[in-house]
Amino acid sequence: MASRRIATPLSRQVKPLLSLDRSEARKRVLDLYKAWWRQVPYIVMEFDIPKSIEQCRQKLREEFKKNQHITDIRVIDMLVIKGQMELKETVHIWKQKGHIMNYWKETHEPKPTDFLSSFFSGKN
Amino acid sequence: MFRVPLTRGLPSVKVVHSSLRATATQAPQKIDVYIDDKKVMVEPGTTVLQAAALAGVEIPRFCYHERLSVAGNCRMCLVEVEKSPKPVAACAMPVMKGWRIKTNSDMTRKAREGVMEFLLVNHPLDCPICDQGGECDLQDQSMAFGSDRSRFTDIDFTGKRAVEDKDIGPLIKTIMTRCIHCTRCIRFASEVAGIDDLGTTGRGSDMQVGTYVEKMFLSELSGNIIDLCPVGALTSKPYAFTARPWETRKTESIDVHDAIGSNIVLSTRSGEVLRVLPRVNDEVNEEWLSDKARFSYDGLKRQRLITPMIKEPKTGELIPVEWEDALVIAGMKIKEAGRSVAGIAGGLVDAEALIALKDLLNSLGSEAVCTEHTYPMEGCGTDLRSNYLLNNRIAGVEEADLALLVGTNPRFEAPLFNSRIRKAFIHNELNVAVIGPPVNLTYDYEHLGDSPNVLHELLYGSHPFTSTLMAAKHPMIVVGASQLERTDGASLLAQLQQLATTLMLRGNIDHNWKVLNILHSIASQVAALDLGYKAGVSEIRNAPPKVLFMLGADEGAITKEDLPDHTFIIYQGHHGDAGAAMADVILPGAAYTEKQATYVNTEGRSQQTLAALTPPGMAREDWKIIRALSEIIGNKLRYDNLNQIRVRLEEVSPNLTRYGYAEEANFTAQASELAKNVKGNTSSDPFDVKLKRLEDFFMTDSISRASSIMAKCVQAAKKHRENKYFGSQNE
Repeated sequence: MASRRIATPLSRQVKPLLSLDRSEARKRVLDLYKAWWRQVPYIVMEFDIPKSIEQCRQKLREEFKKNQHITDIRVIDMLVIKGQMELKETVHIWKQKGHIMNYWKETHEPKPTDFLSSFFSGKN
Repeated sequence: MFRVPLTRGLPSVKVVHSSLRATATQAPQKIDVYIDDKKVMVEPGTTVLQAAALAGVEIPRFCYHERLSVAGNCRMCLVEVEKSPKPVAACAMPVMKGWRIKTNSDMTRKAREGVMEFLLVNHPLDCPICDQGGECDLQDQSMAFGSDRSRFTDIDFTGKRAVEDKDIGPLIKTIMTRCIHCTRCIRFASEVAGIDDLGTTGRGSDMQVGTYVEKMFLSELSGNIIDLCPVGALTSKPYAFTARPWETRKTESIDVHDAIGSNIVLSTRSGEVLRVLPRVNDEVNEEWLSDKARFSYDGLKRQRLITPMIKEPKTGELIPVEWEDALVIAGMKIKEAGRSVAGIAGGLVDAEALIALKDLLNSLGSEAVCTEHTYPMEGCGTDLRSNYLLNNRIAGVEEADLALLVGTNPRFEAPLFNSRIRKAFIHNELNVAVIGPPVNLTYDYEHLGDSPNVLHELLYGSHPFTSTLMAAKHPMIVVGASQLERTDGASLLAQLQQLATTLMLRGNIDHNWKVLNILHSIASQVAALDLGYKAGVSEIRNAPPKVLFMLGADEGAITKEDLPDHTFIIYQGHHGDAGAAMADVILPGAAYTEKQATYVNTEGRSQQTLAALTPPGMAREDWKIIRALSEIIGNKLRYDNLNQIRVRLEEVSPNLTRYGYAEEANFTAQASELAKNVKGNTSSDPFDVKLKRLEDFFMTDSISRASSIMAKCVQAAKKHRENKYFGSQNE
């Protein structure tokens, strides 16, 4: 049994998520970006966050640039879907102010890396 | 009253344990018995209960305990033996050839049910308010072996048997109504603790366990009767109504109140130690624990240093600061001092902190790293380990036939070592002789005087005891480390080494037998000497440094008066005691319950504590504080975590990381040869020991000094001594 091998290599055909090629995926990303872009002034107003429209658009750009390196179309599509979900949560004000402010991570403390900082923080 | 068979009184009668031994060479033949139709081969003289244990069957018992003599009075271990008309008590009955024992037959079960029914008739049903609940043998065994109903009905409404509670001291709470008369506590008191205070009065249902007259049960080992009690008659007073066993977290650890290194279990809940129990280790503490180790845990909550502090120069007040500030100031002062830095390590410090401090100071160019307690550095000093260890091990006493205790009171310096000596005294005909003050050791001994001249006389054969000493096959000389702190300590040690060598050269001693044994009373001393610490603070006293780093040094070996005003004192430790009082900067460390750390006991056995809690407040593990300080000074030590520092420990002294194992020390002959170079004479000042009475025993270190339970014990012991009827008995 063990000596028998399945010699025929199967060509891996994967099902696309949404887009069939790169250009279509790129279009979806741009659409999502534009939708967010247009929503920014309303976010600033409705959530009453201490950030200007420019700062928010800067952050929006940063968040998209974070995934700049991704080439897999399926991953891009999935990220677009998640981006749309977040946009929807924002538009309907299912999110709260803290969720929006969390994009800036202003209260986030980085984990201590060396011995001394972990000693002072009491984390070792 | 129960007593150990007194064979000692009849020296001509030797007890022959196995009468079936045919000749001296032939091993006794094993006999076969059948436990539930399973065949086991056992030595003749084995009891039914032991044979069943070999077959993997545990017979229920209340009065039987393997470290105590057999009483056979609870009758819970009744089992059926085929062709025997009555069930037999398994704990007391030796097996015979071909016996078929049935541990689960109808007759056995009926016998157990009957015994359980009788016991419960006379036992209150107060399990919900009983401290033994959850760890009660009676509870467990009535569930497993008892009947589901009782014929006990209180037809006259007279109530159940009720017994008046006794006041036997600040540690043990008695609820004597719960007592089932197993007599384990009585046997422990008379056999192990050596205090014949407990006994029974009355017979039948009027029988009572007590102290006959109103009297406290004061012993350094008294807490063990709490563990021994199978029911809730004897419970811990400090732990009363605190917790149930299933809601506490158990951490295995090591005790640091003496140099024995008893194995313990710490029960913790919600950030505090609730109680300390012994853990079985036959080579160290068997299953006993001294009262100081067991009850001083409340000292871990009082007088703690929880934040770094700096002394305000003008007012002299200590002000709480952040870690950074304290370390920067300490670091600055150390840098300014250059090579003029010295360190003193106290008695509760672990090996990790010791190596970190030594590495730090050595990297700064200072060699002045000392222990608080002196040890002679002449001769081979502490270069050869055999020179400062209890070479023959704690368990080795059981093989000895003569123990010569020189200037030590093991009863209070190392209670569990003393209980070993007593065990050997009772079961092994060990003869004990003492040079030193005539203290009560709980066993008889020959007092040879308290002058060091006796040693000299023994060495040159002019003392009448010499012949006994020379005739001994397995003699042990046990020296209290505190005697070697005397100014003539080196020549004392040299004399003792000569004496040991002379005994060895007599030729009737086995080569593996070690005659000379040092008994330390400080938990950190052996590890410090292993790591190359200098013993004693004379160097610091002679050349006061600019910066003094005190690592848990609380015994006042160096006081403010010994140092010039400009000496900057850094204290690192866990309790606000003598050391912290004189410090300019305080770095709060962790107590032994709060760190994973290495300790080496007096026989050279390295063992590790495990962290049961986190250090309180801003306190940190000790070696980490020194490591952080080293980085601030700029001489970064090259270990960042526990594994790395243990690799370093192993580099310096490989025995330190072989946990649980006592590394053997050799070169005794060479040590004694080198000791011949020691100059100076012994003075004729008599030997004196610090801990003479029970009240001296309870408070000896910064943890026990902060404990209110220990304070109550001291009070009780003093009150007991002042009692005109029996006060002087325990001295």
